Amino acid sequence: MENKERKPVTKELPRPASVPCPYEARYETDVVVLGCGFAGLNAAVTARESGRRVLVVDKGRPGFSGLSPWPSSFRWFDPEKDDADAFRRAVLIGGDYISNMKWYEEWITDSKRIYHRLRDWGMLTPFPKPQEAGDFFERQDYAGYREAFQQLDRHEKWVEVLEKNGIPFLEYTMVTDVIVEEGRVRGVMGFHVPSGKVIAISARAVVMAMGGGCYKPSGFPAGGDTFDGEYIAYELGLPISGKEFEDSHGTSSVAPGSPFYYMNWQYLENIWPGGGDASQDNLKPFIESKVNFVVLGRARAAKNRLPASTGKEVTREAETNALRRGAALGYETDPDEIRSGKLGSPLPASDTHGGAIGMSSHLTGGVLCDLEDVSGRTGIDGLYVAGDGMHASYPGGASYPCGRGFTSCFCSIDGDHAGRAAAAFAAEATLQPLSEETVAERTEAITAPLRVERGFDPNWARDVLHGFMAPYWVTISKSEKVLEATLVQVEYMRDHVAPYLMARTSHDLRLCHEMKHKILSAEMKLRASLYRKESRGATYREDYPYRDDEHFLCYLTVNKTGEGMEIREVPVKEEWTGDREQAYEKRYLCYYPGEPEARGFHVEPPRWMGGGKKP
Amino acid sequence: MSVVRVDLSKCIGCESCVKVCPMDVFYFDHTAHKSVIAYPENCQSCGQCFVHCQGRSLGMSNDMFGFAIPAMRQTTTAPMNRVVVTEPGVLTEMTRGELP
Ligand SMILES: Cc1cc2nc3c(=O)[nH]c(=O)nc-3n(C[C@H](O)[C@H](O)[C@H](O)COP(=O)(O)OP(=O)(O)OC[C@H]3O[C@@H](n4cnc5c(N)ncnc54)[C@H](O)[C@@H]3O)c2cc1C
Ligand code: SF4
Ligand code: SF4
Repeated sequence: MENKERKPVTKELPRPASVPCPYEARYETDVVVLGCGFAGLNAAVTARESGRRVLVVDKGRPGFSGLSPWPSSFRWFDPEKDDADAFRRAVLIGGDYISNMKWYEEWITDSKRIYHRLRDWGMLTPFPKPQEAGDFFERQDYAGYREAFQQLDRHEKWVEVLEKNGIPFLEYTMVTDVIVEEGRVRGVMGFHVPSGKVIAISARAVVMAMGGGCYKPSGFPAGGDTFDGEYIAYELGLPISGKEFEDSHGTSSVAPGSPFYYMNWQYLENIWPGGGDASQDNLKPFIESKVNFVVLGRARAAKNRLPASTGKEVTREAETNALRRGAALGYETDPDEIRSGKLGSPLPASDTHGGAIGMSSHLTGGVLCDLEDVSGRTGIDGLYVAGDGMHASYPGGASYPCGRGFTSCFCSIDGDHAGRAAAAFAAEATLQPLSEETVAERTEAITAPLRVERGFDPNWARDVLHGFMAPYWVTISKSEKVLEATLVQVEYMRDHVAPYLMARTSHDLRLCHEMKHKILSAEMKLRASLYRKESRGATYREDYPYRDDEHFLCYLTVNKTGEGMEIREVPVKEEWTGDREQAYEKRYLCYYPGEPEARGFHVEPPRWMGGGKKP
Repeated sequence: MSVVRVDLSKCIGCESCVKVCPMDVFYFDHTAHKSVIAYPENCQSCGQCFVHCQGRSLGMSNDMFGFAIPAMRQTTTAPMNRVVVTEPGVLTEMTRGELP
C-alpha cells in the first residue's frame, strides 16, 4: 500500500500470510540425497556420474546451510611426500585407540583425489585475504570484501556444481521421514518450510547426509543441523554411536552466542589447504599439543571452574597455524607445497566452551556401520549414511585432535563413497512408488503440530533443553549424579513436552520437529555418557577420570528396543587398539585432571596448559 | 545477538538474505519489494545475510539479550555483551580495540 503512494517503507513489515511453493508434491528418482554439505554434494555428484538420476533435498540452500559453509582449512594427505606411518600412529594414539583405521586409510589413499575434485569445483581457489586485498580488514568491511571476491566465493559453488551436473535440488525442504518397507528403503517425505507443502519422493536408494546438530547455536554456526537424520535413523532401528563424545568448539565470552563476532573472516576467506604436519620426528609433541588443545584444555578449565582466558585475546593464525590446524611443516623450502603458509586473519579467541551444545565431536556421531564397511551402508537395503554427525566413521577416534582440519575433506570422501554405493544399489533395484496410504498417513503425522490447540512453544522448549544441557558440569566435566539428574529432566520433556509442541505456521512446524529430535538426542547423549564409566577422548567423567581399557575399548551404540533405549558395546578391532602391553602412562600421552592420582603414577604438570590457571 | 534492521529504506529487494539464511528467519514481501525479518528469535547470528546484503540494510547486534547461555561465564559475561556491528566500519570501540 505504502509503496503505491511512493512513501518509503521504514517499518518492518509483517510476515506474508502465504508463500508459494515452487515444488511438486511427488517425485521419483534413483538416488535421493538428503542434506547438501560436503558429504551430500559429493554423494550427489558421484551418484550422478555413475549414470543415475539424483535428487538433492536440503533444509537450507546448498553451500549456506549446515557446517559446510564454515571451514577455513582443508587437510589432505600427499602419498608422494607425507609419512603415512607417522599419521597412522598419531591418530591411533591421539584418538585414544578407538579410531576406525579402515576409514582413516581411506583418507590416506583418497584425500588427494578429493582435494583435486574440490579444487576443480572452485571451492579451494585462493584469493587475497582481507588484509592483503586492501583496507577491508581495517575498516571491518565484511560485505565489501565478499563483493570484491564474489566470483571466487566457494559458497556459491555448491549450486553451480549441482546445476552443471544436472542435479535438481529442493531447497528449504526439511525431510522428516525415511520410509522403509520390508527391509528396503522406498523413499522419503518432508515439507517445504516456507510454504508448508508436504513433499513425497519415491527412490531406489537414499543417502542421508544431514549433519549432526546442536540444541541451540550458541557461538558455533551449527543451528541448521538439528539431529533430524539421527532421529530418523534411530526410529528405523539403526545403532547410533558417539553420543558421549562432546564437541569441543567454543564461543567468545565477550560476545557469547555470536559466531559472527569471531568467525566472520574465516567464513569470507578462502579455505586454506593443510597437511603434511606429522612426522616421526615430531610425533610426540604433535600429539601432545593437539590433544591438549582440542581435548584436555577444556577439561582442565572446567575442573578449575574458570574460563580459559579473558575472552578478549586475539588468535593470530599466522603464528599458530601449525598447531591449530596443521599446515605443512618442514616443506617450507618446497615452492610447490601449497599446504604451508599462514592460515587466516587474526580472530578473537573462543575462550568459553559451549559453542554447539549437543553436537558430537567431529565424525564420532551418527549411525555405526559394520567395521569392515567403507561405503556408509546401513543394515537397511538401499540406505546409506555419510558425513559429520550422520555417520559414526571415527577416523579420528574418540575426538579428533590429530585429524583436526580434515573433517571437511573426510566428509567429502565419505559422501563420495556413499554416493557410489547408493548408485550401484539403485542400478539393480526396482522402484516401488510410495503408496497413497503411506503418503496420507505420514502427511497426517508431519502436520500434526499444526493441529495442536494448546501446547508448548518450540522456542521455549529449546531454551529449556539448552539450559539443562549447557552447563559444563553436564557436558564437559561429567558425573553420575549430575547426568542422572539431567536425564530425569530430559525424560520429562520427552514424555510431557514433545507430544504437545505446537505450531502456528510452517516455520514453527520445522521447529516442532527439530525439538522432538533434540530431546531424543539429549537422552541418547546422557545415557551413553552414563554408560561409559571412564574418560576417553572428548568425554571426561570427573568420577572416572581415567581410561579403562579393560571395559571400554569399544564403541557404544544407542538402540531402539521395545523397552526403550538400550546401550550396546561394539568392540574396537584388536589391531586398532595399539600395544596393550605398554605401560599405561606410556600408552596414553596426555592425562585428564585426576588421572595420574587415580592410576598411581606421577607426571610433571603439563607444559602446555590449555586450561585456566589455578586461583 | 541476532540480525537487526539498520535501515529498511536501504533494502533494494535483492532477496539474498532470504536465500542464504539457514534458519528461515527471512521472508519477502513482494508487494513492498522488501525483505521481512520474520523470526529473529531463530537467528543463529552467523552473519551470512549481513555480508550478502546488497543494500546494506541489515546489521548484527548483540544488544538483544537473547543470546544462548554458554557453558561457563553465564553471569560474568552478560554486562560485557554489547558488541554492535551495524554498517561496515561502525563498530563499538571495544571490538575495534581487540582487532589489530
Ligand atoms: C565454524 C566451523 C569451522 C570449521 N572449521 C573446519 C576446518 O577448518 N577444517 C575442516 O576440515 N572442518 C572444519 N569444520 C567442520 C566441517 O565444516 C564439517 O565437518 C563438514 O562441513 C560437515 O559436512 P557434512 O556434509 O557432513 O554436514 P553439513 O555441512 O552440516 O551438511 C548437512 C546438510 O544437511 C541439511 N539438513 C539437515 N537436516 C536436514 C533435514 N531434515 N532435511 C534436509 N536437509 C537437512 C543441512 O541444511 C545441511 O546443508 C568446521 C565447522 C564449523 C561449523
Ligand atoms: S545472521 Fe544467519 S541465521 Fe541470522 S538471519 Fe542472518 S543468515 Fe539467518
Ligand atoms: S539482502 Fe539486504 S537488500 Fe537484499 S533483500 Fe535482504 S535486506 Fe534487502
